[in-house]
Amino acid sequence: MIKIQNLHKSYGNTAILKGIDVEVKDGEVLAIIGPSGSGKSTLLRCLNFLEKAEKGIIEIDGAKVNVEQYTKADVVQLRSKTGMVFQNYNLFKNKNALHNVSEPLRLTKKMPKKQAEQVAYDLLAEVGLKGKELNYPVALSGGQQQRVGIARALALNPYVVLFDEPTSSLDPELVEEVLNVMKDVMKQGRTMIVVTHEMEFAKEVADRVIFMADGYIVEQGTPEELFTNPQNERTKRFLKNYLTLHN
Amino acid sequence: MNFDIGYMFDIFPRILQYLPIVLYMGTLSFVLAVIVGLIFAVIINAKVPVLYQLLRVIISYFRGVPTLIQIFIFYFGLPQLFPSLSSIQAITAVIIALSIKNAAYLSEVFRSAFLAVDKSQFEACEAVNMTKWQGLRTVILPQVFRVAIPATGNYYIMMIKETSLAFTIGVVDMLARAKLESAVTYKFLEAYLAVGLIYWAITVVLAFLQSKLEKYMERPYLKEATKS
Repeated sequence: MIKIQNLHKSYGNTAILKGIDVEVKDGEVLAIIGPSGSGKSTLLRCLNFLEKAEKGIIEIDGAKVNVEQYTKADVVQLRSKTGMVFQNYNLFKNKNALHNVSEPLRLTKKMPKKQAEQVAYDLLAEVGLKGKELNYPVALSGGQQQRVGIARALALNPYVVLFDEPTSSLDPELVEEVLNVMKDVMKQGRTMIVVTHEMEFAKEVADRVIFMADGYIVEQGTPEELFTNPQNERTKRFLKNYLTLHN
Repeated sequence: MNFDIGYMFDIFPRILQYLPIVLYMGTLSFVLAVIVGLIFAVIINAKVPVLYQLLRVIISYFRGVPTLIQIFIFYFGLPQLFPSLSSIQAITAVIIALSIKNAAYLSEVFRSAFLAVDKSQFEACEAVNMTKWQGLRTVILPQVFRVAIPATGNYYIMMIKETSLAFTIGVVDMLARAKLESAVTYKFLEAYLAVGLIYWAITVVLAFLQSKLEKYMERPYLKEATKS
């Protein structure tokens, strides 16, 4: 399981996370929603130390790190438990789709080249990219790039996949194909934390939804509870704005 | 007209005998300059305290002092301070001077090329748990080189030409040979024009190879590219 206790993060004098406590069970799909600047992406990025939090304890699948006194080995261990899918895909621009997936395996898991490429071929087929293995990122659409990004994250077989607004940079007609791949990942029972603006997706797929604002977790519950019967004023306002915008 | 074209062609082979030494000095200094320049660039971009400030001064010095003077300082000047250097070979002095001077220039090229690589590429390497060195080697440096190659190639061509300064401290290179030839025959124009044409030809060949390399490095970034 994942257990985050009292996580704090600030940039200079601006506090972004003001004491976050979250628990995620094995195989649970957690969606994090909230307005821009609420700290939801920062929270995700603190989990694999792309951002260094100042205070708090992060525990992922047995790897427990106090962020005030961590070692290099702690960071490596947390990163081995997590896979990340970025908003802007962040594929290695100098590598084709196949090598985007196989190189990390080869380098960080010391898997032989042939075997790593076989894993990559299989995963790319799974995300619907058979025949695109040799394309470089520039020759792939946004949706295709993001699916490579998901395959790359899955290849390392992490305990949890962190999705950082995976569809926010996509053209509307490409969102669907990425969401479908994410649903497949969910069906495999992998633990997922998804920062998203896709309320429909959160509603349909998440086991639990967290609403964040101003560096706090304001409210959480099942999608049913949160979307149909929000308790907090801030949540109500956010959902109302969202619905007015999208109807 | 007082121009002996036949003589000029006659001495080509004799001058070309010294092409290897020119290529040796130019290429070795270039390789050293690239390595040192990369190290400089990494230190400057990481703003390593003390080293960073020190490098700024060193780079400013080597960019500011004319190459010929640097060669003289290395060859004639330094043995005064360090007697063990008095046996330094002229070629070694030239190679050291050229590589440090051009490392100073190249460090600026590499520094800006590093900055041109998107921050997201570094993050992607970190997220998949690559070590710093693995990320640099497989993802970052290839992208740095792609940006840096046009300017770096120009420095290589410049360095090949700069080796002709070696003649001033007694290295027998193509220019020295041409001077010897002309001293005997007084056919200065033919002799120096011959060396000039050879340098020009080298430059044309290198520029051609450079454009090939640029095209090769550009492959992953072209829409139609799908080869591995």
